[in-house]
Amino acid sequence: MSAQAKIDEIDINIIRALQKDARTNFVDIAKKCGVSTDTISKRFKKIRRAGVARGTTVLLNPKSFGYDCVASFGIRVEYSHVGEVVEFVERMPDVVFCTSSMGRHNIFAIAVVKNVGKLSQLKESIKGHPMVREIATSIWVNEILLCPENFEFEHLKTK
Amino acid sequence: MTAMDKIDLFIIEKLTEDARTSFRKIAEELDLSPDTVINRYVALQEKGVIRGSTVVINPKKIGYPAMAVFMIGTSPIHVLANETIPVDSSLILDALIKMRNIIVATKTVGDHDLLAIGVIMGFEHLINVRNEIAKIPSVKDLEVSFWTEKTELCPKYFVI
Repeated sequence: MSAQAKIDEIDINIIRALQKDARTNFVDIAKKCGVSTDTISKRFKKIRRAGVARGTTVLLNPKSFGYDCVASFGIRVEYSHVGEVVEFVERMPDVVFCTSSMGRHNIFAIAVVKNVGKLSQLKESIKGHPMVREIATSIWVNEILLCPENFEFEHLKTK
Repeated sequence: MTAMDKIDLFIIEKLTEDARTSFRKIAEELDLSPDTVINRYVALQEKGVIRGSTVVINPKKIGYPAMAVFMIGTSPIHVLANETIPVDSSLILDALIKMRNIIVATKTVGDHDLLAIGVIMGFEHLINVRNEIAKIPSVKDLEVSFWTEKTELCPKYFVI
């Protein structure tokens, strides 16, 4: 397990501002925190070096690129072959996330595909693996809501 | 599909790698004026290609070693004060989004009715989050899968 980073009020303010808009001017964040712009810029570098923030990115709409369908798979496989099937599913085109999991399924995967036809093909390919016992598919309906600001930081604050 | 040219795609590529890249720098690389790049960026936002921008957090570094997916089934009707009303899963969706630690929530078609993904601090926290979801009115079935290996969901077209 990776070590927890030390984070204070200023760091949290920076993260909160950038979560809403990664292009927020450091001048504005500095004003809000009552510190210099230079401090904010140094702190952001520190947050990145510590690995708390991996970077910044734009949120794209898959539909604009012809990917009309997001779906998730809950997959049940023979226990001794979980790792092998994870690698198999990960390599599939359009699979954007795949992990072994505990609970109802032992693999959980997310795919972004062009249409339902492609989704069906993908499902059949996964099913084609001899160790796959069951696969439950769910198509995500339009209102996919990303709420990254729901992370809590309060428990990390250094007094 | 949205019509986009090489300039649009170049801007998108640069901003996907680093959303804070200055428009001046992108303009220099494209041999265009910064204003042109800004106009393109605004147009991409207006067309809904770019929904916004965010900082990608590594949950493991801030005390969330695990993630969980909650698969929710709803009851077809909701009985309220002797009146039966059809369940509106939008209300459940709203409740999920407001919950702390839930980072993705969507209605689904298929195996279940709604799905939510959350960041998890530990076993006790997982049970608390599950109990909180179970308390939302009309939630009938609730199944959970959780994992610790990969806690960053940030592929190309799908950033969390």
